[in-house]
Amino acid sequence: MQTMMKQGLSVKDLVTAGIFTALFLVFALVGGIFFAPNPVLTFYMPVGSALLCGPVYLLLLAKVPKRWAVTILGAILCAVWFVTGMHWAMALGYLIAGILADLTAGTGGYRSRTRNALSYLLLSLGGTGSYLVFFADPEGWASTMLGNGTEQSYIDTMRMTGTTGILLAMLLGTVLAAAVSALVGGRMLKKQFEKAGITK
Amino acid sequence: MSRFDPRAKLFLLLLTVLCAALAPDLRFQFALVGLIGGFSALCGRWRYALRGILAYGLLCAFTFWCAGSLSGTWRTMFVAFLGLVHKVYACGMLAGTVIATTRVNEFLSAMARLRCPRKLTIPLAVMLRYLPTIREDWRFIRDAMRLRDVSPSLWGFLRAPAMTVNCLYVPLLTAASRAADELSIAAVTRGIENPKPRTCLVTIRMTAADWVVMALFAAFFAIELLWTGGIL
Repeated sequence: MQTMMKQGLSVKDLVTAGIFTALFLVFALVGGIFFAPNPVLTFYMPVGSALLCGPVYLLLLAKVPKRWAVTILGAILCAVWFVTGMHWAMALGYLIAGILADLTAGTGGYRSRTRNALSYLLLSLGGTGSYLVFFADPEGWASTMLGNGTEQSYIDTMRMTGTTGILLAMLLGTVLAAAVSALVGGRMLKKQFEKAGITK
Repeated sequence: MSRFDPRAKLFLLLLTVLCAALAPDLRFQFALVGLIGGFSALCGRWRYALRGILAYGLLCAFTFWCAGSLSGTWRTMFVAFLGLVHKVYACGMLAGTVIATTRVNEFLSAMARLRCPRKLTIPLAVMLRYLPTIREDWRFIRDAMRLRDVSPSLWGFLRAPAMTVNCLYVPLLTAASRAADELSIAAVTRGIENPKPRTCLVTIRMTAADWVVMALFAAFFAIELLWTGGIL
């Protein structure tokens, strides 16, 4: 077992990934909860989520600088969103974004500050999955959401609000919010956690 | 009070997601919540079941009132918000019961039987157990912030953003990484790295009760599908 575990993630890494996933989930929910129920603001939900999770994500990478940690984060988020009845594209978006983020951070050996920040931008874009599906195919999206129990008037308002400008604003906003969050997180890591010896 | 197999609970959760996603109207949602209430009561959580059903009844009444007597933007806002709540309520209620009644060892054993990779089941189990701890930590941190005259509110954030952010994140993240170290030491001491198939003191077996509950939920799903298809 020793040999088997040594190559990949140790139990400690798995436990760390679990705990930080819990924190990530809570911060994503707190950031997104004000936006999601409002049809005009719903497009900015990924922005709100992206703004809060940066420090959590960067500390996870600092504690577990190995392949799969971020993929696990994405996969568990995917499972949680699916079980709570969110749109399937959002769940899938997190899974795909998790894998992409993992690969991106991997190119810097999980130690490069810029690569890690970049991978956080990618992960944040996972939350836009359901909206991307909305812009790609409004009709199909409406029928899924109606099937999921969302009101017709909500979707109508969303349709009126949802123009190409909004799509760009959402994507740019998410990237920007994630960048700010990653910047704050990086500083915090350097100033607080490295000094305290929490990161290796 | 009976104990159900974690695999059966997982199956129920999956069925509930499908049921809630495809429910044609509020009556079905309410019946689903009732069914989940019954299941929670069977698990020995009477009070939770009663409270859940009552709250959902009030929510339904409020929804009807909103749809009936409000108009304009407020109606859209409220109905949209309630639509989201209705969609999530049943899943959340069942998830609450499942998490509260499933012990971590049973969950891990059942997942091992299902041949789920440990790389996924260990973080998942840890995450589910850590969520309540975050709430507890948050209360302590809030009190500590008040004690040092840092206001844990939006106004406080606007007045001193860097300070508030640091006061929030640093203790939460430090507590999290310390908990990670301690938990993994505890888990390794108890032999989680053992490559042999996992054993469990509690026998994990599908009993008649499991099959009955699963059949009930499946029947509900089938009725819902038939209703939507216009056959019933």
